Amino acid sequence: MIAVVGRVGRWALNQLAAGARVAVLMVDTMTWLVVAPMRGKGFRFRSAVEHFVEFGVRSLPIVGMICFLVGVIIALQSSYTLDKWGANRFIATLVAVSALREMAPLMTAVLMTGRSGSAITAEIGTMKVGEEIDALDVMGLNPIKYLVAPKFIAMLLAVPCVTVIGMFIMIFGGYVASVFVVGVDSWIYLDMTTQAVAEKDLVMGLTKSVFFGIAICWVGVYRGLQVEGGAEGVGRKTTSSVVTSIFLIILIDLVFTVLFYFV
Amino acid sequence: MAETREPIIQVENLVVRYGDRTVLDGVSFEVQRGEIFVILGGSGSGKTTLLRSLVGLIRPDSGRILVKGEDFTSMDEGERIELRKRMGMCFQGSALLNSISVGENVALPLREHTRLEESTIEIMTRIKLELVGLGGFEHYLPSELSGGMKKRAGIARAMAMDPEMIFYDEPSAGLDPIVAAGIDVLIRKMQETFKLSSVVVTHEMESVRLIADTVCMLEGGRAVGVGSLAQLEGSEHPYIQQFFARRPHDEEASDSAYARALTGLD
Repeated sequence: MIAVVGRVGRWALNQLAAGARVAVLMVDTMTWLVVAPMRGKGFRFRSAVEHFVEFGVRSLPIVGMICFLVGVIIALQSSYTLDKWGANRFIATLVAVSALREMAPLMTAVLMTGRSGSAITAEIGTMKVGEEIDALDVMGLNPIKYLVAPKFIAMLLAVPCVTVIGMFIMIFGGYVASVFVVGVDSWIYLDMTTQAVAEKDLVMGLTKSVFFGIAICWVGVYRGLQVEGGAEGVGRKTTSSVVTSIFLIILIDLVFTVLFYFV
Repeated sequence: MAETREPIIQVENLVVRYGDRTVLDGVSFEVQRGEIFVILGGSGSGKTTLLRSLVGLIRPDSGRILVKGEDFTSMDEGERIELRKRMGMCFQGSALLNSISVGENVALPLREHTRLEESTIEIMTRIKLELVGLGGFEHYLPSELSGGMKKRAGIARAMAMDPEMIFYDEPSAGLDPIVAAGIDVLIRKMQETFKLSSVVVTHEMESVRLIADTVCMLEGGRAVGVGSLAQLEGSEHPYIQQFFARRPHDEEASDSAYARALTGLD
């Protein structure tokens, strides 16, 4: 019994300590992102742009393709039920609403976790193993300012931007499947889509995607800074970065879905 | 050898713990301006921890480190960054940023800390690389260099801001004797040319004989001897004698003790 209590207590303390470290990381990042540039301590704008291109622009092909395919899948799957009621034109509504509110933000976030979140962990982890982080510190260059802040702002902007494009491509995928496979009239599909799309859905999808971006970047950085030991440590933390990040994305998704359900 | 005794770094009763384990246990010494101060010790003696405390990568649990008379352990972030611009450090694995070229590595502190023109920075980078014998290598990536060249590039980067103090962590580790000797000569040259105060962590007696003005011998987190090489060689301390004579530890005394060590039973 005492052993169980002890274990639970230790686990809770560890979690608390981990929470504190995440909080410190967040405060540091925000300081270097918002406060320090205002005091004239500089922000690495170029690096942020480079990262935006890497996280955002370069992920467009894969995100575009996956979103297109998911659009096709949603259309065909919903046709399976809607066809029985002769309601195939409501495929457009279903595709539009699910793309905006759920699938495009989620798919984009998951893909960017796999593509960029893991890369952030691997990069920072390798730098930690090679004492590069310490070297920055000794040179008087704050690693948070130098490495984390540009990645953070880039990710924060890239995820919503890519998500918007993903939304349109997903709707286009649904259109292609409905019109060419199911046989819905092209104009009816477009008409139903414009009727279905509401500002609220777009706002919800984008709000979520901003928080997804925050989660991807912070988990990536946090796991990277946790790396100990050699290449093996980098591998282990990269895996754990992806798992944690996807878990958090689903959790954030749930919280927002519940929130918007009642609001 | 420093003619005027003017300490640039003073370490007083330094204690560093990792969890329950005490790695440094009340270490005190002074580094004089312009000398090469060697921290010598076996594996696990705490010498790397000591060096990392000196440059502020590890916060000591107690004790003080005075750099140029100011308390390095209790100053705020801004003052610390100012002081760090006066320090250069060469890491064991050179720790060059792998994503940028050698030249950009050397230029990095200049770009971030000064408002020099780009052309000036380029010239200074080339001068520093020339200094360590890497002229013409500024466009190479660190991964394209050999171990010894990486060390030299690391020294060039540490020298970028024209520091007063330079710290070397195991400069000759993992290098063949000829290349290692080259690094030793370079350390000497830097100190003589720029009147640099240098702190070198090593376990190699050959380099100690070549470069040391003052030696601090660490054993199990304690400084068991500080002085010139000749003074230490004449020391009566058993560990120092053992280290200098390159004698292994005594084997486990008895069979029963050996059996206890294996089985973990009393």
